[in-house]
Amino acid sequence: MPSVSKPAARRASFRWLDRSFAVAGGMAALVSFGLFAWLIRDLVRLGMPRISWEFLTAEVADAGRSGGIGPVLVSSVLILVCCLGLAIPLGTGCALWLAEYARRGSVPARLVTGGVDLLASVPSIVFGLFGMVFFGQTLRMGFSILSGGLTLACMILPMLVRTTLSALEALPADLRPAAAGLGMTRSTTIAKVLLPAALPGIVIGVTLGIGRALSETAALIFTSGYSTRWPETLSDSGRALSVHIYDLALNVANGGPMASSSALVLLALILVVNSAAVTLSERWLLKRHQTS
Amino acid sequence: MNAPSISLPFPADVPAGSPATGDATACLRVTGLTVQYRGFTALRDITIDIPEGEITALVGPSGCGKSSFLHSLNRLTDLVPGCRVTGSIHLADGTEVTHPKADVLTLRGRVGIVFQRPNPFPQSIRRNFEIPLREHGWSKEDIPDRMETVLRQVGLWNEVHDRLHKSAIALSGGQLQRLCIARALALEPAVILFDEPCSALDPLASGVVEDLIHSLRGQLTIVIVTHNLAQARRIADHAAVFWVRDGAGTMVEHGPAARVFSSPADPDAGLYLSGARG
Ligand SMILES: Nc1ncnc2c1ncn2[C@@H]1O[C@H](COP(=O)(O)OP(=O)(O)OP(=O)(O)O)[C@@H](O)[C@H]1O
Ligand SMILES: [Mg+2]
Repeated sequence: MPSVSKPAARRASFRWLDRSFAVAGGMAALVSFGLFAWLIRDLVRLGMPRISWEFLTAEVADAGRSGGIGPVLVSSVLILVCCLGLAIPLGTGCALWLAEYARRGSVPARLVTGGVDLLASVPSIVFGLFGMVFFGQTLRMGFSILSGGLTLACMILPMLVRTTLSALEALPADLRPAAAGLGMTRSTTIAKVLLPAALPGIVIGVTLGIGRALSETAALIFTSGYSTRWPETLSDSGRALSVHIYDLALNVANGGPMASSSALVLLALILVVNSAAVTLSERWLLKRHQTS
Repeated sequence: MNAPSISLPFPADVPAGSPATGDATACLRVTGLTVQYRGFTALRDITIDIPEGEITALVGPSGCGKSSFLHSLNRLTDLVPGCRVTGSIHLADGTEVTHPKADVLTLRGRVGIVFQRPNPFPQSIRRNFEIPLREHGWSKEDIPDRMETVLRQVGLWNEVHDRLHKSAIALSGGQLQRLCIARALALEPAVILFDEPCSALDPLASGVVEDLIHSLRGQLTIVIVTHNLAQARRIADHAAVFWVRDGAGTMVEHGPAARVFSSPADPDAGLYLSGARG
């Protein structure tokens, strides 16, 4: 039998390389999916048994070992409301100024975009410390839902500014001369033409921001605090769901099972919010595709 | 210049341009208009009277300043940073378009513009009328009638009357351009400026829009920029030929369309109009 010629040998080794690449890729995919599936399975196995209407609405009892997460859910929602109440107007206003009023590349515009981008890279624990000092002490809000919400607002602001800005920049350039040619003021053009057209982008940004805010722990520990009582006003301290999980897992002996149930609720909430963002953006892109 | 042959609604201190014809009233009087972009002179020293109720066509090769001229007539040049307009433009009622304190928003209601690419607002057909009409002080109750009137005028009513609440963007290119014309007409302008209104349309839709523009003759003053010389011949009462001279756009020829097209005095204009150049 003639020996295999050199080029053929090389080709064979390439084929071997090809195959091992495919196998390695497949393995990596399998491991990634396996981790995800394992996480979900574990969370469902450990957390699901206690999930009930009772659990979602009852008071926290025995440091969280029994009872439910009612006040925690209410506090989380209130923190979110405070957060969006500040972040949406501030983020939209900032993006509008950058897109419609500031001269592109001018020093003030570069300072603002630079600042926003810097803000995006700040670790959340730093926001927590800043919030504690600025909102909690300087503005005398103490440990409160308001203080936590406003801290979260600073944290998701860059995301809102970026998404709103790119939505505004993606609008057809001829909308502005069209409106100007009809004798419309700049403010009417923005309020009645540009913002409605950019709304889908803004909504997506807000949805992503909600997801980020819901999952935040570090920024809230020092600002909205640990209290598990039913919140009565925004200046009450209130425990967010993520803080509750952190506390149960770390500080409460035998808090593990309740931590799993709370984590399952949080995961479900975030999945709902994120898939809403994906659905919205897909529908929006589809619509733009069909109409342009 | 034989200025006295034009009837003069202008205040006495408004300098006369050179009239295109002796019988029409000038609706817009442009004197010594120069447009610069950051020091680059795009258009130099244009003087022309635009006759009322008639169609004036502006022709000339690309980049000779036709759009710049058109945009300075309703101050859209204000939108371009670094754009400087000198000289004067007056409306028949004495309004000085170029005055620094002119009421630009009202002016743009009186001197409307339609662009090359249809640019509806990405909202319902109805909102496309409501937004500008509300801005100009129309009451909510009067808007539906006004909208119907102008949509009928552009021949779009039968096509869209049952989908006024639907997105304007779904219309075809020709329909969109007629919608934009209707939207400009809704504000009851005295003048409409058309910047190559048919260039983005297929021949059939282009013909429909051209007929529409022709049908507006007599109701308001029309200034149209077109690269289609045959179209200019068909619809224009007056014509002006723009050309680049010494690096800046100028007007080399203007007058009654029939004369400009049959016996242009300027050699460049002659070659361009005969199709030999440009
Ligand atoms: N915003 C601007 N900034 C700088 N230069 C400009 C601007 N707009 C137009 N110009 C220049 O002014 C000159 C005239 O432009 P204009 O658009 O008025 O010409 P036009 O006759 O309308 O051309 P076309 O037939 O291609 O539309 C051109 O040289 C152009 O490059
Ligand atoms: Mg042009």
